[in-house]
Amino acid sequence: MMDKSSLVTVVIFTYLSVTLAVGLVAGRRASRSVQGYVAGDRDFGLLVMYFITGATVFSAFAFLGGPGWAYSRGAAAFYILTYGVLGMAPWYAMGPRVAALGRRFGFVTQAQLLVGRFPSRGLSALMAILTLAAFVPYVTIQMRGAGIVIEAVTDGRIPLAAGAAVAYSIVLVYVLGSGVSAVGWTNTFQGVFMLVIAWALGIYLPYRLYGGVGPMFEQILEARPELLSPPGLTGSGEPWSWGGYSTAILASAIGVTMWPHLFMKAYTARSDAIIRRTVILFPTFQLFLIPVFLIGFAGVLFPESPDQADFILPFLILRSDLPALVVGLFCAGALSASMSTGDALLHGAASVVVEDGVQPFRELSDSGQRLLIRILVVAVGGVAYLFALVEGFSLVDLLLASYGIICQYMPAMVAALYWRRATTAGVVSGLLAGSIVSVFFFLVPELKPLGMHEGILGLIVHLPVLLIVSLRGKPQDDEHVDGYLNV
Amino acid sequence: MRYRTWRRVVWTYHLGFAVAVTWPVQDLVNTPDPFVLGLPFQMAWPAGWVLGSLAVLWRLDAARTRHEGARAAGGDE
Repeated sequence: MMDKSSLVTVVIFTYLSVTLAVGLVAGRRASRSVQGYVAGDRDFGLLVMYFITGATVFSAFAFLGGPGWAYSRGAAAFYILTYGVLGMAPWYAMGPRVAALGRRFGFVTQAQLLVGRFPSRGLSALMAILTLAAFVPYVTIQMRGAGIVIEAVTDGRIPLAAGAAVAYSIVLVYVLGSGVSAVGWTNTFQGVFMLVIAWALGIYLPYRLYGGVGPMFEQILEARPELLSPPGLTGSGEPWSWGGYSTAILASAIGVTMWPHLFMKAYTARSDAIIRRTVILFPTFQLFLIPVFLIGFAGVLFPESPDQADFILPFLILRSDLPALVVGLFCAGALSASMSTGDALLHGAASVVVEDGVQPFRELSDSGQRLLIRILVVAVGGVAYLFALVEGFSLVDLLLASYGIICQYMPAMVAALYWRRATTAGVVSGLLAGSIVSVFFFLVPELKPLGMHEGILGLIVHLPVLLIVSLRGKPQDDEHVDGYLNV
Repeated sequence: MRYRTWRRVVWTYHLGFAVAVTWPVQDLVNTPDPFVLGLPFQMAWPAGWVLGSLAVLWRLDAARTRHEGARAAGGDE
């Protein structure tokens, strides 16, 4: 007879094998062109689009960082519940417009759209650098998440470094082989899996440990009332500021709308109606964060505690007397969350660097582009892996740092799609000014006024720079602008 | 309601949503009572806004479909 830990390991590796098979089979359907590899031949239906969009929310950050925050910082975690929907709602109008421009001009990345409207090779390179800077921490989160789960369920026999390496070797194989088609279909398989797991575990644990969800919160209210009162606590246990909480929501909402891989996935949709339906259904994905938080809150009054808050989910299920098969499936759900986001990010980062950072300067053939994207998928994965081995930071903190950079894209993209009077100089100046301010406050957090998020502080500088420089410059040619505004 | 009206409703709703879940409004509803489906009110509050978003976006899309149907038929809604 196998012991519990071995059986859990078998379940996880079976799950990883199925994911690999789904990814490899998916690639057979796509053409061998760059459009096929990066934009799935613009042929994704509602089911795949729903899960591919949901994977941007339901990552290792949500599945492990969410419970980690609820467990250690209490109501501070509620900010995660709100920002996704606030960010996705504008996509109902923007998404179809972006997709239409993609079809009209053949765009496959976000920067191609921006540089199409505001011609500048420097802008293209800047977008590639900023995107890479934002994606690496996000991929790092996913890898650490995968490593955390595998280390926890194998009782440390497979350490974080080896666990992350195994999970992401599988991701590399199917992304290298099948491109975005693999990302889409594995996201669908993994999405179904993790949603079922999240609800099952989120309802089961409070019942098992406290006799129900209501009784659990009543007991927390009695023992730790500060945990249920927004804005919750900081990582060190001090009260979080309202400025920090509120601007984390705003910066993250803006960031969600502006993630480069969201634009890239809009280009993959078969029709505009599919993009709109994806937005409508998005709140259903967001509500799956509720059971995730319940898991974290279930750990608050648990007699033992894990070394790090991000370990609370595997820590609790390994101590809840569940059958090994069920524990294995739960851990596979957490791995799903990590891999389904990580694969899209790796593919997105590599595609952006080639299409926006290399192609404008040195034209490559179709096969040359595909080869370089594959090489960069491995390179970006390698860099993120090295970061994943560094301890001493929380998954959510890493994500917030990424959002600081990404939300600087918002004024530029809105100007590209809706503002006739915007100019290339205005967009480049605004982007540079906003990014510098955001990075400055990220590096020197003690200078942030009211504890505000660095992304919002960047935008406070970015917006006036964009407006003033654009209005002082020569307007763009009407015919050129009409191509982007009259969609 | 017409499609254009629903568009305004959706914009207004989400602006209200952003205000409702940030300071100072979230602070005004900073109480655990009443519990909603076992959740303290501070948590049910943002969850309720997320649910409401699903409802208004759904109605917007229905209105859009009607609007496009009417336009295709040559009339106006």
